[in-house]
Amino acid sequence: MEQKILVRDQESSSSPSSSFFFFYLCSSTFKNLFTEAKNTIPNPNPIIPLSPVSKMSNQKKRNFQIEAFKHRVVVDPKYADKTWQILERAIHQIYNQDASGLSFEELYRNAYNMVLHKFGEKLYSGFIATMTAHLKEKSKLIEAAQGGSFLEELNKKWNEHNKALEMIRDILMYMDRTYIESTKKTHVHPMGLNLWRDNVVHFPKIHTRLLNTLLDLVQKERTGEVIDRGLMRNVIKMFMDLGESVYQEDFEKPFLEASSEFYKVESQEFIESCDCGDYLKKAEKRLTEEIDRVAHYLDPKSEEKITSVVEKEMIANHMQRLVHMENSGLVNMLLNDKYEDLGRMYNLFRRVTNGLLTVRDVMTSHLREMGKQLVTDPEKSKDPVEYVQRLLDERDKYDKVINTAFGNDKTFQNALNSSFEYFINLNARSPEFISLFVDDKLRKGLKGITDVDVEVILDKVMMLFRYLQEKDVFEKYYKQHLAKRLLSGKTVSDDAERSLIVKLKTECGYQFTSKLEGMFTDMKTSEDTMRGFYGSHPELSEGPTLIVQVLTTGSWPTQPAVPCNLPAEVSVLCEKFRSYYLGTHTGRRLSWQTNMGTADIKAVFGKGQKHELNVSTFQMCVLMLFNNSDRLSYKEIEQATEIPAPDLKRCLQSLACVKGKNVIKKEPMSKDIGEEDSFFVNDKFTSKFYKVKIGTVVAQKETEPEKQETRQRVEEDRKPQIEAAIVRIMKSRKILDHNNIIAEVTKQLQPRFLANPTEIKKRIESLIERDFLERDSTDRKLYRYLA
Amino acid sequence: MGISKDRIKFNVGGRLFETTATTLANAGRDSFFGALFDDEWNLSPQDSVIFVDRNSDCFAVLLDLLRTGDLNVPANIPERLLHREASFYGLLDHVRTARWGPFDGNRLRLSDSVKGIAPGDGTAIRAGPDGGCCVAHGSVVHVFDWMLEEHSPINLDYQRVNDVGWIDSENIVLSACERLGRGDGGMGLFSSSSGDLRYKFQVCHENQVKSYTAGALSFSPDYEIFASCKGRSNEYGIGVWDQITGKQTDFFYESPGWSLGDADKLQWLNGKNCLLVATLFPRKDNCYISLLDFRDKNMVWSWSDIGSPMAIDEKRVRDAIAMEDSNSICVVNEFEDLGFIDLRMYGGSVRWSSRSKLMKSKMPDEPCYPKLALHEGQLFSSMNDSISVFCGPDWVLTSRLRRSYGGSICDFSIGGDRLFALHSEENVFDVWETPPPPII
Repeated sequence: MEQKILVRDQESSSSPSSSFFFFYLCSSTFKNLFTEAKNTIPNPNPIIPLSPVSKMSNQKKRNFQIEAFKHRVVVDPKYADKTWQILERAIHQIYNQDASGLSFEELYRNAYNMVLHKFGEKLYSGFIATMTAHLKEKSKLIEAAQGGSFLEELNKKWNEHNKALEMIRDILMYMDRTYIESTKKTHVHPMGLNLWRDNVVHFPKIHTRLLNTLLDLVQKERTGEVIDRGLMRNVIKMFMDLGESVYQEDFEKPFLEASSEFYKVESQEFIESCDCGDYLKKAEKRLTEEIDRVAHYLDPKSEEKITSVVEKEMIANHMQRLVHMENSGLVNMLLNDKYEDLGRMYNLFRRVTNGLLTVRDVMTSHLREMGKQLVTDPEKSKDPVEYVQRLLDERDKYDKVINTAFGNDKTFQNALNSSFEYFINLNARSPEFISLFVDDKLRKGLKGITDVDVEVILDKVMMLFRYLQEKDVFEKYYKQHLAKRLLSGKTVSDDAERSLIVKLKTECGYQFTSKLEGMFTDMKTSEDTMRGFYGSHPELSEGPTLIVQVLTTGSWPTQPAVPCNLPAEVSVLCEKFRSYYLGTHTGRRLSWQTNMGTADIKAVFGKGQKHELNVSTFQMCVLMLFNNSDRLSYKEIEQATEIPAPDLKRCLQSLACVKGKNVIKKEPMSKDIGEEDSFFVNDKFTSKFYKVKIGTVVAQKETEPEKQETRQRVEEDRKPQIEAAIVRIMKSRKILDHNNIIAEVTKQLQPRFLANPTEIKKRIESLIERDFLERDSTDRKLYRYLA
Repeated sequence: MGISKDRIKFNVGGRLFETTATTLANAGRDSFFGALFDDEWNLSPQDSVIFVDRNSDCFAVLLDLLRTGDLNVPANIPERLLHREASFYGLLDHVRTARWGPFDGNRLRLSDSVKGIAPGDGTAIRAGPDGGCCVAHGSVVHVFDWMLEEHSPINLDYQRVNDVGWIDSENIVLSACERLGRGDGGMGLFSSSSGDLRYKFQVCHENQVKSYTAGALSFSPDYEIFASCKGRSNEYGIGVWDQITGKQTDFFYESPGWSLGDADKLQWLNGKNCLLVATLFPRKDNCYISLLDFRDKNMVWSWSDIGSPMAIDEKRVRDAIAMEDSNSICVVNEFEDLGFIDLRMYGGSVRWSSRSKLMKSKMPDEPCYPKLALHEGQLFSSMNDSISVFCGPDWVLTSRLRRSYGGSICDFSIGGDRLFALHSEENVFDVWETPPPPII
């Protein structure tokens, strides 16, 4: 290499090469040294730093000239060029993977010197130009790659570039740290990535081909082919390394568009050919595939975007059609207990807006429709126990659906509750039926069941109870049924009874159950009273035994006392008890409820068969008559006992007409009791059992007039409650308008029953009449509380 | 890897060194050694001795630095040369960290004094985040890096600089007086390495750009700049700019009778989300201290000595600093008496602790007003030629920094684990550092 050391030419100071800063002492030995050391910078001493040329005045130039005469300062204007050439050659070698002969120390020092000697700009632009040239070269090679090898070639070149970039950055480290830092230029590494992006990825002949190749591969994988995921990952990783915007613009966006198109077509195909369950299975599979794809070779941030594409195309766009699909939609799944499909539907629909809302709406309307049929079907409401059991079964079923398939979603539970609330109250007899169901369970159903199971059944009943709007109606019936259970001694488990009362108490408060509890207390007190009675009358141990239960009026369902003539033996005892009781308690009045009693009678029949008959008090009165006469006519019996005709008829029917229990016979033989019939003891009565229970022919359900009566009683009971609520509200509000008062009263009474606005209005009027309230003189809609 | 393979030999400028790869690994990947031993540069085993064409004495110092983390510079090595060499190897950060320890006001020692060219009376000195500093003097700001090498000064062409602040080690904000009829002045962002103007902050009133004089500066961790501003058409108040976008984001107009635009001191209180603004004697006849909440444009706390009975010894507040931890504002008068105002009470009075009565007898001819600074629970107060350090809940005087050269201290600043004190004479400034932690 020919090097020249020039004496600095004053006249050439305006040319670009005049901006150097180093001067060398001119000597011939120097020249030799210079030509020998080709790849190293000559490091002659001394280095004389000088102020920038631009500040030199003409005056100084002249001074300089004089000094130059003494020292003969010589400079090498090619210094920077030469140093750069060394570095440039090294960059070439690095790119050609021929770097083993390079000395890092030398290259680092050269780059350092260039920056130190203010050639940073030259070094920086040189590095960019060299790298650009290399990358242009590479992009041509990549472009030339055929078919499948295209991606591999790109990936290979990318790896090479990264490696080279790393080494170049090492060499230029000093520039990176000082020159680039202070001039705020792009650092070497990001610059290398930018150059790759501009010259390779955005190279027109590569850009679209790369994108299409990638999208093709994804498409292939979606149709079941196996692709090289590793290569895919590397290339996608390249986009990510080039920066988020490159990844998004050059890959992610088109990828999402293509996916959207793909799933649009596919979902259309599926929905035409599959049933709902299959469709959901396929959608779920696609979704997991896409998530899997992201995990394998995409940016984790893409997961949300691609899943939302699948969700939109496969679920959101076909939501209605899927849910309502004939023979396989949501209703079908519910009917056929397809928990797995339901769960899948829930999990998929949850992902899209309004998805769950759609599912919930369809479920609710189906539930309501189904429930409505259930409660309004006259066939099904024939048997109350069956009716309630069906409700419970439905409730259990949907509970299970929500639990297993719908992830115990609160909103679904609410929907279930509101649906039950809706249809249970469609049938006005629901409170009665629920009470009957409890009655049935507590009478006999709980035998052989553990306490835990009892609790479970009671809890379920409570759930239904909660849905009732007319809880006070339930209370009425429950009271009646409980009374019957208690008095007939038919309750199976005292614990179960009390447990239910406690539940009702927690649900509705003390008020609701105080009377029910009073009934239990009465039972207990009666036991004590009886013990006391027999204690004070020891002579009564002979003869018939009387057991009296003293019931507090008010706590028990009131029934008109039906008087009847008791047999002499019994009425004597009754009198004794009356005087004992009134003797121990003052200010009480006893009236006999003969219609509610029972009696055990020992009877000897014709051939000497002995039986113990368990009968009602009325039946006992009738049977006792036969102790004195063999044959009696209906009229005679009616006259002797004074039992009201309907009761007597029922009682005779059950004594004479029930097969296997007909202890008396009647003439003529027929099913019904006529006024002209006559009765005689059935001497031929036989039974396998010693004890024979003779029931009273009575419908478990209420008769029509009875029902009316209960209803009326409920209505009557509501009146004071409504009035109390009105007064409570008005006391605190003083003035309130009509609509608000209705709303507040309804709200306050909600836990017990649904107050009828017309009834509330009537109560308000009644209160006005009684001077509790008055209408505002100017605004007739306003009520005022009168203290 | 065997022990022998770990061994590395260097020939630095003719002198042989032996060390281990483990020692050199302390230099980090972004250094000469980090790159040298990267796998890409496959150093062949034949290269048993690596030649480095550098100064061997400095190499020895830097090698010891990598070995022990301690920096011991023999007297015969000039600092500049060592820094130059460290910069070559990419070890400047190592040198800086080894040079001085974490800041502690009670362990400071004078490490250097830099003499300026100007005759004296600097305006302000501000410590940079990485150990450098800048000194404002008239219309010029001299910038020094942590090696105390001076960079190109920032020259404002006859506008007086009022305050300076560092955004980061690369960027400095200057506030300057407006020059009548020229429409310049205000606030600018300058490069600390080149001194070039990078950005000019503008103030808009009713969508019109106005020229203004900027005074005291403060910065919040939310990248906001606060400056007291005096506009041409009496738009006085506190301007707020975003450090990243450079755009004006807010302006707090001063209420009548309450000086904000003339403020001597601004201090951002991060815990309270408020800005302390103090306008003091002698700029105004009275002292005004207030806390501004910019979210609802409200002056949430204020104090003034208007109407307060003037004591015989005329205690006038000369500087104020808010101490968020103790919910109070510390003030100082010209006799270096510290006073405290409770921030929790509105309109409380100053509780003076007259601790330094002795000082009054020997007041210098040309006094400098006391300045206050707070650093991690230590309170600093400058008076005459010394800086006092106060600690603990009762602010007990624990240290006093004094040097008998340069006259009174007109300003001081703490930052980058260093304390810089600017003297009024000869524009000299001192650098105080905490020595590195002890060996054991």
